[in-house]
Amino acid sequence: MENFICVGGILLVFVLVIFFYLLNTARKKVAPSNTLGKKDFLPVYISLADKPQSIMLGMDKLKIDVQKTEKSGDKWRWIPMIIFFGGVGLMAVDLLLLLLGYTSFIFIAGGIALWIAAIVMARGLRKSDSQDFAPRYNGTKNILHTLRDDLRPSTTFLGHLDLTGSLLPTKVARTSKDTQDRTTEYFRDEWLALKAKLYDGNILRVSAIQKSKKRKSYTKRSRISGKYKTKPEKFKGTEHDLKVRIVANPDVYTIARTSPTFKHGLNIGKFTVSQLSTEGGIISFVASSPFEEVEHENILQVIQSAYSLLQRKAA
Amino acid sequence: MSRKVIPFVVAFILVCLVMVVSGVFAFSGAVTAEKFGGNVTWSQPYSTAESMKVINLMGDDQDELFIQNTSNVTLFDGGGNVLLSQDYQYPKTTLGDVNGDNKEDIVVFYLSDSGYAVDTIINGETATLAENLSIGLPARVIVVRFASGPQIVLGDSGGGLLSLSLSGEPLWTYTVGSEEIRGMDDALISGQMHLAVASHDGALAVLNQGGESIWNTSQEQLRRMRAFDLNSDGNSEIITGGEYGALFVYNAVDGSQMYTQGMGQAVSEVRVVELNGEPSSREFVVGGKDGGVWAFSFDGATSKEIWSGSLSDKVTEISGIDIDGDGTEEAVIGDESGNVAVFTGSGSRNNLDSHSTGITRIDVGKLNGERHVVIADGATVDVNKVNFSSIPGFQYTPLVVGVIISAVILLIAAILASIPMKPELKVSFQDKSKESLVAERRMLKESIADVERLRKSGEVTGDAYLARLKRLRGDLAENETAFKTAGFPIKVETIQCPNCGGTLELGMDKCEYCGQVLLS
Repeated sequence: MENFICVGGILLVFVLVIFFYLLNTARKKVAPSNTLGKKDFLPVYISLADKPQSIMLGMDKLKIDVQKTEKSGDKWRWIPMIIFFGGVGLMAVDLLLLLLGYTSFIFIAGGIALWIAAIVMARGLRKSDSQDFAPRYNGTKNILHTLRDDLRPSTTFLGHLDLTGSLLPTKVARTSKDTQDRTTEYFRDEWLALKAKLYDGNILRVSAIQKSKKRKSYTKRSRISGKYKTKPEKFKGTEHDLKVRIVANPDVYTIARTSPTFKHGLNIGKFTVSQLSTEGGIISFVASSPFEEVEHENILQVIQSAYSLLQRKAA
Repeated sequence: MSRKVIPFVVAFILVCLVMVVSGVFAFSGAVTAEKFGGNVTWSQPYSTAESMKVINLMGDDQDELFIQNTSNVTLFDGGGNVLLSQDYQYPKTTLGDVNGDNKEDIVVFYLSDSGYAVDTIINGETATLAENLSIGLPARVIVVRFASGPQIVLGDSGGGLLSLSLSGEPLWTYTVGSEEIRGMDDALISGQMHLAVASHDGALAVLNQGGESIWNTSQEQLRRMRAFDLNSDGNSEIITGGEYGALFVYNAVDGSQMYTQGMGQAVSEVRVVELNGEPSSREFVVGGKDGGVWAFSFDGATSKEIWSGSLSDKVTEISGIDIDGDGTEEAVIGDESGNVAVFTGSGSRNNLDSHSTGITRIDVGKLNGERHVVIADGATVDVNKVNFSSIPGFQYTPLVVGVIISAVILLIAAILASIPMKPELKVSFQDKSKESLVAERRMLKESIADVERLRKSGEVTGDAYLARLKRLRGDLAENETAFKTAGFPIKVETIQCPNCGGTLELGMDKCEYCGQVLLS
């Protein structure tokens, strides 16, 4: 009897695991966030070396393709669940035979085969799932859209949009250890790099860099109980740097030393100008933001404000 | 191969596999829906039967139920009425034709007030054949039809044998080992009847009509000894089951071992059961002390295990009964816990109603003109009408299940093939004009210089530096490829590491990513 309960319990757990896996597939319920509680977005990397229109069309097409794959899978999401219940139905035939006094396992075997088929199909459907596009994807497209008419004819935007994630091991810029031998990793994610020759002859370079800090998990011994405890990794914060360099066309512009709308320490949207140089005919500045997410409007606002340092020469 | 075709190829292979397996199950007859049931026709109290047989012993044209335990011999008629009941001390019985009327009579070897004696019960009339015999406590008795005439052979608990003529005259004596006689059976040698006998201490002998040994041997302590002519060649095979699990098959002619097998538990019962319906060879079923059940076939030279099964307790009785009337016998097996199970020719098990005490004997025969299975347990003897039913055509259900699974597999393949491939998430929007490619190249070199500057300033170190550099150099290599594809002249500045495939600047002596030395 104990064996029966034990084996029956294990089988019940298996059945429940399969059932909820298939139910979550049908309801499109996936893990919403990563281990640090942050939402995972679609990991996209785009090299930019084309005209604005082509880039924007390409970005739209990529989005449509991803959504098309996802929608194709969505139509069939309940099929694995139906197959699962089909398997239950087959197994019920054997149970009915058992109640009538006949011993048969062929329908149970068939039901198990159907369950395996349902799991395989659910796996296939889950592969067609995609995370959402990061807000930065649309934001970058809006930046390109805003700057499209300022681009010198027959030139292209150059750079990259890297939305593969800000906390990847390959983005660890450096590490440090504290007095308790705990390791903190410093991430540097240059998610946007953009270079453009503008219509007025200026050259604009923009880099959006997200800097994050994370303490790695570690094991320590409790002073009171003497037990070893493993502490999970901890996200220690993030900030944004917007590095902009504008090489001014000396035939068209002179650079003012200061401007009331753009100076060191000025708050512009979510950013604060933290470094500013106007030497050698180049405006070079860093705007910092303590926010994890900065919108495209803030980036454009900073660039627009920096342009107030340029003064058009008299014709 | 197209991405749309691959799921169908995989599905086709799976469907073939499923249908082959289904076909094997369907056409091998391994899948059946059979049910055995039993209704008790009548039941009488009778404790711990040692011997039981449905047979005609009253000289009429009806079979009766003969039954014997450690203190009584009883005969029931077909309706369960007692025809004869006689008490004895330590009785052992056998059935054989004593008076030459070609009908079986009862021979009882027992302890009487005047010593060890033999009674015969012929057509319900009891007569003492011999008494005051010089032999020990009764262990076995048998009527052997030797070529020279029938003899009654008595076996005692000390290994002693005494042969009597049908008139009760002692003919010869013999000693087999020094412990209780555990088996006496008639064995054929070249068509002539002999006596096979074995004692508990493992002594085994085959004797002729004069009580002379044809051969003898010894083995581990044994529990059971049976002799059968398994392949109908006129020479019997002697099967012994040991106290420690050894199963031997001896040739009755010379005592040579034809087959031996360790069963892993004491052998508690051995019986012949015609499991496959092939009359030229007979199968035998072995029961173990821990509930093991094994069926063996015999091909004239050696034995082969057909199937194995189990009951929950010591196997106490095995009986071959053709329950479903298909010409092959099923093995009806009882155990010490009172379970009764029917094992079919393929080894599938079907339970009959269990009893409250251990099963002691099972037999089959016609009582009141109807076929019955008689089961004796520790307290009663039950006469059952056993029935069999099966679902016709059930053996083909694997094909139905196979078709259902195949249809589902094809459906899944069709659905998965209809889903378009996920787009590549590393994309490059690249203008192919020379100016654009030149500008991109310049941008990439600036970016590489930026990364170098960051490393020198300590802002970026280690893997992050190498990863970024690797990606930028890769983009630079792609840019060079785009130049070449478009037919523009380009001075190549990158090489690929032959070890890791990473892109490096021309002129480097060592790969920065994997450490490979470069000879370029």
